[in-house]
Amino acid sequence: MSDYIVEMRHITKRFPGIVANDDVTLNIKKGEILAILGENGAGKSTLMSMLFGMYEPDEGEIFVRGEKVKITSPNEATRLNIGMVHQHFKLVQDYTITQNIVLGIEPMKKRWGFLPYVDLKEANEKVAALSKKYGLEVDPTSKIKDITVSVQQRVEILKMLYRDAEILIFDEPTAVLTPQEIEFLLKVIESLRESGKTIILITHKLEEIKKVADRCAVLCRGKLVDMCDVETTSTKEMARMMVGRDVTFELNKKEANFGKEVLKVENLTVKDKNQFEVVKNVSFSIRSGEVFAIAGVSGNGQVEIADAIAGLMPVANGKITLNDKEITHMDIRERTETGVAYIPEDRQAYGLVLDFSVAENAVLKDYFKPDFCEKGILKREKFDAYGNEMIEKYDIRSGQGVKTQVRSMSGGNQQKVIIAREIELDTPLIIFVQPTRGLDIGAIERIHEQIIEERNKGKAILLISLELEEVMNCADTIGVIYNGEIKTIKDAKSLSTKEVGEYMMGVHS
Amino acid sequence: METVIIDGLAFALPLFIVAIGGIFSERSGITNLALEGFMGMGAFIGALAVILTKEFFPALGSVSFYIAIVLAILGGMIYAMLHALVCIKFKANQVISGVVMNILAIALTGFLTSQFNSVIFGKPSSKFVLDVLGRFSVPLLSEIPVIGGFFKDIYPFQVIIIIVAIIAWYVLYQTRYGMRLRACGDNPHAVDAGGADVAKIRFSAVMISGALAGLGGICFAYSISANFSSSFYVGYGYLAIAALIFGNWKVIPTLVACILFGFARSGGYMISGMLELPSTFSDLIMTLPYILTMILLIFFSKNNHPPRALGEVYDKGKR
Repeated sequence: MSDYIVEMRHITKRFPGIVANDDVTLNIKKGEILAILGENGAGKSTLMSMLFGMYEPDEGEIFVRGEKVKITSPNEATRLNIGMVHQHFKLVQDYTITQNIVLGIEPMKKRWGFLPYVDLKEANEKVAALSKKYGLEVDPTSKIKDITVSVQQRVEILKMLYRDAEILIFDEPTAVLTPQEIEFLLKVIESLRESGKTIILITHKLEEIKKVADRCAVLCRGKLVDMCDVETTSTKEMARMMVGRDVTFELNKKEANFGKEVLKVENLTVKDKNQFEVVKNVSFSIRSGEVFAIAGVSGNGQVEIADAIAGLMPVANGKITLNDKEITHMDIRERTETGVAYIPEDRQAYGLVLDFSVAENAVLKDYFKPDFCEKGILKREKFDAYGNEMIEKYDIRSGQGVKTQVRSMSGGNQQKVIIAREIELDTPLIIFVQPTRGLDIGAIERIHEQIIEERNKGKAILLISLELEEVMNCADTIGVIYNGEIKTIKDAKSLSTKEVGEYMMGVHS
Repeated sequence: METVIIDGLAFALPLFIVAIGGIFSERSGITNLALEGFMGMGAFIGALAVILTKEFFPALGSVSFYIAIVLAILGGMIYAMLHALVCIKFKANQVISGVVMNILAIALTGFLTSQFNSVIFGKPSSKFVLDVLGRFSVPLLSEIPVIGGFFKDIYPFQVIIIIVAIIAWYVLYQTRYGMRLRACGDNPHAVDAGGADVAKIRFSAVMISGALAGLGGICFAYSISANFSSSFYVGYGYLAIAALIFGNWKVIPTLVACILFGFARSGGYMISGMLELPSTFSDLIMTLPYILTMILLIFFSKNNHPPRALGEVYDKGKR
């Protein structure tokens, strides 16, 4: 009997065309928080999906509590007290929290001794008790569609606990959360360890690992490259192991050289579809060669500012001027032509047509121009030539070159397609909204470099980000938004991270 | 006024049970345009049973009606398995499969009806003639003015439909099976993660859909025409779909929609009867209730939401 609760020995898993896991041996101690670190596509999720029974390994063995097991389905994993919170939540929108938690193991009772029915009353109480016990506050009777993403995540955690899971797998749990919510989740994870659970945390965020994990397994291209003690290993070392080369956290940024004013926003007010003012009387301006970052907690109106400038949301009041030309009420194509490039927050919904190829997505904003179209007939061969050029220039990796459907590509490469398209528009203003969301450290680094490159070329950059670190690293000027109002606009060098954080919370006024 | 209620209900209830069949299928995530085909095939099997028992076991008398109901349910269910097989096992497009099921049903029932008639009875006819069903009235309640119409001249199948509808409602909203079924239509991944078999649930839901549509079909055959032909049911399947969309994929609002359709129809007949118009114009008047319904639909269905996963082929790997 070993002292490991889970042992995965010599696991190999192949998918058509790639080896997702190559001879990985991983041991997990009872009661520890083990982080699994790796870039996107390094095989972290695949490895853990095998422990949860979603795939079966092609080679290798899994031992749970010293016994050899074959985990063929999530059901089997549940029986072994293994639970997983997936990156994409598996929740029924129209059901209450309790209904979602009990789905699959519904508590049954008999009405009048013979009519079976699902007894939600008792389940509600049990869920409420569980949520109290672990500090995961939820209202068991509210519906999933009415609650925030972070509460939905609590539901997923409760789902595991309701099934008496002892080994909890979290797949990139912080990707969808705001800084405060991340803080909270990490506390919950720690308290779960206190109560004796074993936790596996799949992530590519080093700070989180440093904060909570005991040990860290580093995967790189399907192979386990190292297993280290978090206590004694620096984040820099971990990053190097993960990427396979040195990573610089400091951005190489030369002194800013501001030119004339490019974008001017005056007294901008934006209303959402319920006529609620989400942006209130906001004014700022961006000069050429300047990165202007808007920092703020998610949902405080920052995305709406970007959408109003890009034309995705109507302006209720105020004036937006680009290079002395008013664009307040222009349609989107006119704005693009006047000089707005836009990298949206939700790349799959607004940035790309997922079922189109790389080449088609690359020309989405130009396809009607004489280069690509003659008398209404598209010149497809030109698309491909241009697409190839972009693949070369922006290092876009895709299975079948320009013909690859972007749906099949990784998030980082999808983002590269968008960035290629927008930067190539060569507009005086580029708006980046959450440009690095969900991307791994190598890709983040590259995007930050690109932002600075464009700034150095004299573009005006509007950067909207929830990642405080990103804002502090890239910005020349920082505006902090709280509750739809810009609380302060200051030179980035004169602000500390702590100060910005305080403005974001609305405590500094 | 009473006849509007009586005739309206005799039309609305079969429509309702067909629509509930649609709700079962669609709430599980399988688009069901095939209701009409299920209905027709069920009614055909039921009607065939009636004429065969009448021919060979005349002593059974009115029992043949109940045999017809059971066989119509079975017939609809078995025919529905074809749709389930194509949509779930072979992951084909559900809209196309549904339309094909309808066309196939019309063609098959038409062909088989005349074949059976000529081979067994030796007479060329494209119809199976059914009995005229007896009706009953609830004593006292039927005496109440106007509302009494709800309790007067009731077909026995109307009672069966109401009982089946209550059972169907209970299954859908109170049982474990119903809870999983509705979850399949919203997010099948959640059902899978919970350890239930999405394909099985959907398959059975489509079979229930066929069973209920078959029941509705044979009831239509008795109430509207007292005979079966391959064309008598044309349009009613789509009307049932309209009713369930109008009813927001929920049982009670769908009942309201069906009653509205039923009354619109019987009301239209009454108006055209009162105006004593030539038949070409009465046809025009008959469209008015439906146009009215369309207008209502525009105003009241803004907030309707189909099940989120409706029509999507379930693929475990896709996230």
